[in-house]
Amino acid sequence: MLSEPVITFQNVWKKYSKQQVLNNSLREELVSMLTGKLGQKELIGGEFWALQGVSFSVNKGECIGLRGPNGSGKSTILKLISNVTYPTKGEIRVNGRVAPLIELGAGMHPDLTGIENIYMNGTILGLSIKELKCKKDEIVEFSGLEEFVNVPVKKYSSGMFLRLAFSIAVHSPADIFLFDEVLSVGDESFQLKCFTAIEKILAHNGTILIVSHDEKTLDQLCNRKLSVNRSYCSFVTAAAIRNE
Amino acid sequence: MIHRLYPYKDLLLVFIWREFLIRYKQTAIGVLWAILQPVSLMLLFTFIFGVVLHTTQKDYPYPLFYFAGVLPWTFFSGATTFAVTSLSGNFNLVTKIYFPREIIPLSGIAINFIDYLIGLTVYFLLLLVYRVPLTWNILWLFPLLAMLIMYTTSVSLLLSALNVYYRDVKLATTFLIQFLFFATPVIYSIDAVDNYWKYLLFLNPLTFIVENMRRVTIEGREIILWQMGIELLGIVILYLIVYRIFIRIERAFADVI
Repeated sequence: MLSEPVITFQNVWKKYSKQQVLNNSLREELVSMLTGKLGQKELIGGEFWALQGVSFSVNKGECIGLRGPNGSGKSTILKLISNVTYPTKGEIRVNGRVAPLIELGAGMHPDLTGIENIYMNGTILGLSIKELKCKKDEIVEFSGLEEFVNVPVKKYSSGMFLRLAFSIAVHSPADIFLFDEVLSVGDESFQLKCFTAIEKILAHNGTILIVSHDEKTLDQLCNRKLSVNRSYCSFVTAAAIRNE
Repeated sequence: MIHRLYPYKDLLLVFIWREFLIRYKQTAIGVLWAILQPVSLMLLFTFIFGVVLHTTQKDYPYPLFYFAGVLPWTFFSGATTFAVTSLSGNFNLVTKIYFPREIIPLSGIAINFIDYLIGLTVYFLLLLVYRVPLTWNILWLFPLLAMLIMYTTSVSLLLSALNVYYRDVKLATTFLIQFLFFATPVIYSIDAVDNYWKYLLFLNPLTFIVENMRRVTIEGREIILWQMGIELLGIVILYLIVYRIFIRIERAFADVI
C-alpha cells in the first residue's frame, strides 16, 4: 500500500524555554515582525532543544505508534502536526484535516450537559454544527450514556466523562487522528469498542498516530512504530519496526 | 479577520453559545442580570449625583443621562475584563488544539454585546417613558456602535495576548478599567470640561462614543463629521496594528502560556 505521504517532517528542530517569565519570546516575535526576519534559531539562556533534526514521513492509511521515554518529544511531535506550535527550524507538511486527541474532552465544561458538551467538543475537533446534529445520536449511542445526556458532566464519573469524550473524538470526519495516551479509557468492553472504531478509521483510509507506553496496544494496532529519542540526544531516529 | 475566521465560524458560534450558557447556569433570574446590572448602576448614579450632591448634568432627566453612559461602558469593561484572562484561563485548549485564538476573546465580546442589546431595549423604553422626541439622527447609533465594537475588540485582543506572556496585565487591567471609567464621560458631561482638558479626554475613543450616543438619542442632534472622521481613523489604525501583532505572537501562545 504505497500512497502519498500525508505527514512529512524534514529536519525539524524545536526549542523550548525553561524560564517562567519569557521576556525574550515576546520581544523576539515583535522584532521579527518589524524586521521581517525569523526569530532566533540558536539556543539562548534557559532554552533547550525538545527535538533536534527529526525527519520522517507517514503515508495515508497508516497507523503509527510513537514510543519513547517521558520527555522524549512524542507529544511535541503531535503538537507540531496539529499546528498548536511551530517548529523553530525545519519544515513540516500535513495534508488533511487533523483531529488532535491530545487530551480527551478539551473544551468540555463541567456545568454543561452531555449533549451540550458534544457540540462544544465536537466543533473544537473540527465538526460543523450541521454534522453534529446528524451524528449526535450516534455519538451518544457509542458512549452508552443515553440516560445521562441531559445531566451536567460534573456529575459524571471520570470513566463516563472519558467515554463521552472518546465517542465524540472517533466521530470526527478528520483524515489524521492523533491519540496521546488516551486509549486506556473505560472498561474492557469499551476498550474493545475503541479498537473497533480505530480499525474502522483505518479501513476508511484515515491515518492514525498513537502515543502509548503500552507496547501491547501498539503491537496490536499499529503497522509501524516510531522510536523517539530523549530530547537531549543529538539525533532522533525514525526506526521503522515491521510487525508480524 | 473574516478570511481567517470563516472556516471556524461554527466554533465561534458554539463558543458564544457556551459562554452564554455558562454565564447563566444555576442562576435564579438568568438573563435578567443583563438588565439588573446597568439599571442598578444608573439608579446609584442618579441617587448620588442627583439627590445627594445636587449636581446638574445638562437638562436631561438623570436616569436617561446615566443610563446612556452606563450601557456602552458596561459593554466595554465587561468584554475587556472577560478577554484579559480568556486565553490564559483556557490554557488547556490553547496548548492542545489549534484554532484562531481570537475566537476566545471574541466570544466574550459577543456575549457582552448580547447584554448590551438587552440593555438597549430598556434604554429605548426609557426614552419613550420620558417622551424624548426621536429623530432620524438616532441612526447614527449604528456607526457609533461599530466603532465601540471595533475599539473594544482591539483592546481585548491586545490585553488577552499580552496576558499570555505577562500576568501583570491582568492586575494592571483592573486598575486601567477604573482609570478609564473616570476618563470617559459616564458620570459627567464633556461639556462641563475646560477646552484644554477636552482634547486630552478625546484621545480616549470611548469619550467620543459615549458622548455622541447621548447626543444622537437624547438630544436628537447629528454628529460632527470631522470629529468622527478623526476618531474613526484612530480606531481603525489601532485595530489593524493590534490584529497584526496578535496574529504574529499567536504562534507562540502554546509555548509560553
